[in-house]
Amino acid sequence: MPPSNDPFYAGLGQAVRIGTELLAALIVGGGLGWAADTYLFASGPWGMVIGLVVGVTAGIRNAMRAAQRWDKSG
Amino acid sequence: MEESPLHPFELHNYIPINLFGLDISINKAVIMMWVVVGLTAFLLVKAGASRRMVPTKLQSLAELFVGFIRDIILDTMGKDGMRFFPFIATLFVFILFCNILGLIPGTYTVTSQIVVTAAFALFVYSMSIALGFVLHGVKFLGILVPPGTPGWLLPLMMPIELVSQLARPLSLAVRLFANMTAGHTILGVLFGLTITGGLLIGWLPFAFTVAMNVLEVGIAFIQAYIFTILTCVYLGDAFHLHGAEGHAH
Repeated sequence: MPPSNDPFYAGLGQAVRIGTELLAALIVGGGLGWAADTYLFASGPWGMVIGLVVGVTAGIRNAMRAAQRWDKSG
Repeated sequence: MEESPLHPFELHNYIPINLFGLDISINKAVIMMWVVVGLTAFLLVKAGASRRMVPTKLQSLAELFVGFIRDIILDTMGKDGMRFFPFIATLFVFILFCNILGLIPGTYTVTSQIVVTAAFALFVYSMSIALGFVLHGVKFLGILVPPGTPGWLLPLMMPIELVSQLARPLSLAVRLFANMTAGHTILGVLFGLTITGGLLIGWLPFAFTVAMNVLEVGIAFIQAYIFTILTCVYLGDAFHLHGAEGHAH
């Protein structure tokens, strides 16, 4: 069983985690904006533009949170 | 041999079953899940059967597992979280065995299907939301407002927090699925190169296949671990609302 406290594997896990965190928020933000454009307001590209910006922000926030969490555990 | 490296992920129905318009056919993934459930149940029951003072090999391995999961829960959720121990332990052992058994050639990696990982992620996430509302009522909506936010920032912070909340199940599902699929695709490509390369150069991709296999065992463990720890973190957020930052190590 690969030990979880092996620094190589632990670091790998954290790196993989942060990448997905950024991407997922971007997809959700953009998707919500696109859905609002298409089904709710017919507001051209603006919903998606705002959604993407919010998504990027949320993604960075999530990544930041994840980073803080493993900083504490050392 | 020209074969798509994604070919191993295709599923064919062995026994087509159609129940009221619901496709519940038996395919390789379903059989693999049965195998995993059967194997884990057998091993853990056998490990727990003897309960000796001086544990057998299997028993000490099981005790290691239990201690490992208990530490994760205590770290992220605190003592309250021990209520969820059976659920989280089951989740961890199931995902771990799915990942690792899938590395044996000829078997199938159940977690390389996004349906499976998405079902897990959605279940975990809706459970944490339900738990939050049961414990805190309407106050649970306060999770959308980070502590110490000035009032004028609220219209900006609420959508950001909402998106970052909604991203949780997606990132949980996609992370496990993508890692498993990508790893197996790489193994497939490398081994394909070994076969087409022949004796002269084929040993090089073969060496990489072996090295990647070792790495994949590590990844299988890490992904199960990350899935479990994030489950604990999300459930812990529901428990403690904003106190979570203090508890979450």
